[in-house]
Amino acid sequence: MPDLSFEPTRGFWDAAARRELAVPRCSACDRYVWYPQPRCPGCGGSEMAWTVVSGRGTLFSWALVERALYKPFKERAPYVTGLVALEEDPVVRIVTNIVDCDPADLHMDMPVTVVFRELSLAGEEAGVVAPYFRPVSASVPGFEPQPQPQPKPGATTGEEPSR
Amino acid sequence: MASRAADWGWRGELPDASGQVAIAGVGESRHTPASGRTSVEIAIDAVGAALDDAGLSPRDVDGLMWSGGLPGQLDEPAFRQHFGARGFDGPLWTSSQGGGMVWAGTAPALAAQALAAGDARVIVNVFSIAWATQRQAGEGSPGDAHSSEHFKANLELPFGWFPQPVYFATIARRHMHEYGTTSAQLGSIAVSCRRHANLHEGAVMRDKPLTLADYLDRPMLVDPLRMEDCCLISDGGAAYVMTSPEHARDLRKPPVHVAGVAEGHSGSGVFWSQQGDFTATPQVFSAPAAFEMAGITPADVDVLTLYDPFTIVALMQIEDMGFCKKGEGGAFVEGTRLHHDGGGLPYNTHGGLLSHAYVLGISHVVEVVRQLRGEACAQVPDAQIGVYGGYTGHMASTLVLRRGTR
Repeated sequence: MPDLSFEPTRGFWDAAARRELAVPRCSACDRYVWYPQPRCPGCGGSEMAWTVVSGRGTLFSWALVERALYKPFKERAPYVTGLVALEEDPVVRIVTNIVDCDPADLHMDMPVTVVFRELSLAGEEAGVVAPYFRPVSASVPGFEPQPQPQPKPGATTGEEPSR
Repeated sequence: MASRAADWGWRGELPDASGQVAIAGVGESRHTPASGRTSVEIAIDAVGAALDDAGLSPRDVDGLMWSGGLPGQLDEPAFRQHFGARGFDGPLWTSSQGGGMVWAGTAPALAAQALAAGDARVIVNVFSIAWATQRQAGEGSPGDAHSSEHFKANLELPFGWFPQPVYFATIARRHMHEYGTTSAQLGSIAVSCRRHANLHEGAVMRDKPLTLADYLDRPMLVDPLRMEDCCLISDGGAAYVMTSPEHARDLRKPPVHVAGVAEGHSGSGVFWSQQGDFTATPQVFSAPAAFEMAGITPADVDVLTLYDPFTIVALMQIEDMGFCKKGEGGAFVEGTRLHHDGGGLPYNTHGGLLSHAYVLGISHVVEVVRQLRGEACAQVPDAQIGVYGGYTGHMASTLVLRRGTR
């Protein structure tokens, strides 16, 4: 389970709870800074604002975990975990699970979009909403895409990371 | 491509060690499944063997290096406690920036400074691990350092992007996409290592052959990696003894000289997911500097050992060190090119982390020394120049060794 009190990543989980995907952005040079860090690696700026992004991206790479070595995921295997490069800046890669899709249908750089689900570890749902991704073209029977609230890209969440 | 920046890492600053250090002794403990022993007990065996090999006694030691970042190492208190009972009571120059992993490659640079300053005359670098025993007891694993890291715990573990086989399966799949690398090519690395381990009396996998057909028949663990792409978990340790080239001339074994040392860093640290060039290693920043210090090119290297937690890590380092062009590593490692007797680039001739033992790189240095002395199990004929490539993800190191003269 994520530690929701860990300040540097709190904005990510707070946004997910609102069913939004947010990434810190440097207020001085507009660069997305991921993972969260106190200074912008581009301009050295120290003011970051959690910024809602479109939730669209491409599948940068993934692993199909046939046998989980990480105990909380033992019963979940096989599962797909990987990296999504954000549409706003593909240098930003979000670690996630790819859901609602047969792993055999995945391909590199395919368009994916965010979908919010309750995080479940070791069979327990913890009341924490997490951003997962699914292929844009997903039409697997039984996995009808659910309507998602449309975030407003570029809008800041009004929260300032305190680092 | 957009994600690839030329500035994703940098070369570290290390003192020039070229020609200033000799490795005069090497030794290993036994490498075993769970032994029930502590890593300190294992390290003591390795140090004893290395000193014997050099014709020295514990009383001759006045310098000690270990890996400060890992618990259970033979550090100064442990060394004094054990060897104090055997007559050691002298001063001891120490550094916790030694031991295994990248530091198995960079320890000679710090030792060169200590030798030149007169702080020490005989320096032992030692590393050991008892992860097989710990795993059996449920006390710790190679993943612990990652799962306890806050950003990983909050941004990676909730999605099961953990532990290391998952990181490197993700990297391997991207490498396959960008360069056409195949499973069979990764398998070729695993098979070459196993072949060497089958020839090595101390290797954990000595009695277990592996053909490419066997490899391809094995199930995926974390697709696209199989268990055979991943390092062993074992108990074991190794040590090597460093001194000046002048002193080494008078010792028991033919000396091996340090010709070049360098290290490289990744700007994204231990966060593989964000590394600027996702399918590369910081060897890009390390190897060229070490080769330049040694006055060699990759073509001059007679034997290569690489820190190989996964086949893909070896493949990327082979490319990044310049043994072939970036992206051509897959074709490069096919067939017999990596075999000790294949006439190509003899690689991990002891079996590496995949098939010799998971002793985190220090046995890789021991193996290079044995090759240059002509006493290896899978001996490369007339090996003159050997290289160790170290890797810990956020760093890489390159150590160039040359057969010395008396």
